[in-house]
Amino acid sequence: MSPGNTNHDLFENLRLELRRGSLILAVMASLQTEQYGYTLRKALTDHGMPIDEGTLYPLLRRLETQGLLVSEWREEEKRNKRFYRLSEDGKTIFKQLLAEWKSMNSSLNGIL
Amino acid sequence: MDILESYLRAVKRCLPRAQSDDIIKELSDDLRSQIDEQQAALGRPFSDKEMMAFFKRHGDPMTVARRYRQDHHSLSLGWELIGPELFPTYLMFLGFNLTLTIASVVVVLLLIHVPITGQAFVVPVLAQIICLTVVFTILNLIRRKFPQPWYYPPAELAPMLPISRWYSLAGLIMWGMVAIWWIALPHFPRLILGPGAAVLKLASTWHRFYVPMLLLVLASISQRILNLVHPTWTWVVPVMRMLINAAAVPILYVLMFKSPTLVVLADGIQSTPHYEQLVENFNGMIRWGILGPWLWMYAGISAIVYAWYSIPHLRRLIRRTRGESPAASF
Repeated sequence: MSPGNTNHDLFENLRLELRRGSLILAVMASLQTEQYGYTLRKALTDHGMPIDEGTLYPLLRRLETQGLLVSEWREEEKRNKRFYRLSEDGKTIFKQLLAEWKSMNSSLNGIL
Repeated sequence: MDILESYLRAVKRCLPRAQSDDIIKELSDDLRSQIDEQQAALGRPFSDKEMMAFFKRHGDPMTVARRYRQDHHSLSLGWELIGPELFPTYLMFLGFNLTLTIASVVVVLLLIHVPITGQAFVVPVLAQIICLTVVFTILNLIRRKFPQPWYYPPAELAPMLPISRWYSLAGLIMWGMVAIWWIALPHFPRLILGPGAAVLKLASTWHRFYVPMLLLVLASISQRILNLVHPTWTWVVPVMRMLINAAAVPILYVLMFKSPTLVVLADGIQSTPHYEQLVENFNGMIRWGILGPWLWMYAGISAIVYAWYSIPHLRRLIRRTRGESPAASF
């Protein structure tokens, strides 16, 4: 493996690590209003946070298992869709996470 | 959308059973939404080729399912031997093979009136575990090294996936070696009899299936050559392999059950109890070992599997004969 490739792989791993935490925040922020998976993914992409369904749906399931989201199957446009929104616990934790993120962001900006 | 259904079924097979229906329902909705949007932008339905390109972008069903699995069990010894995508299939095969092995050992011991002891199972069971683990480790290595192609496409999707040239070439080399070995056998019996060729020779009954087997090997080679030249002739693989394996079943049956002797003493060799035992051993080894029941069963099972894989090609052929366009099914 060439050093270029190694550096690229390393960067990719670090980038994914950095993105993972932010994605949770972005998903929770988007789910303050109810959405189903496909529109949520599009909304995230439109805001510069593209996410493939193979990452998004397992993440939604995990957040739901943790009690941060609630979901409901409903028919829309002649198709059954699963709508997600933040639960009451989710709303509380989202506020805390957002405050944490803002504080980290301001610290980082100071360091940088 | 039979291709979509087939893709979803392939993903579902790799999902944990308790959540599979729920996940598939959601994935189905997402994929349908994407397809609808892209078809609307095109102003027409996807062709089979475009649909396949869409699923290829989406990913191998096994990899897609892996992302949903919480139980990322794998087999590793400091480094990964069998990854989480293949591990459930490995367990399934291991269970099946071990059941078959244990049942076979019991049947054989009963038939030859030997008491059933634990010791009789040790070697066959260990051999199964080692062989299967090695095979799956190699498959895992290939998946890690070349993560893009679909190695195990479901039958409905297989017609749309060109056969990769390296796959055909590897088969060509392997079957070429088998053909050379088989052609050389009558001239160099040592290739199957080893040092025993000094006192043994192949019996005349050998010729009953020598040519049919050679023809089957040559048919296998021609299939690889055809796909090497025309990777998009995907129907060649299941159809020819189904025919080859189906033809091999009666030939191997005759070999195992209807051919009393495959090896006899060479001309001029005096019959002694030792040589008679040698003849018996070699006949048993060839009939029950080298070309024995395992090959017969393999051919039978392969014929069924390839017949299954031929069905979508047949459907496509019928659709084409009726003048339906590939996209009409959507």
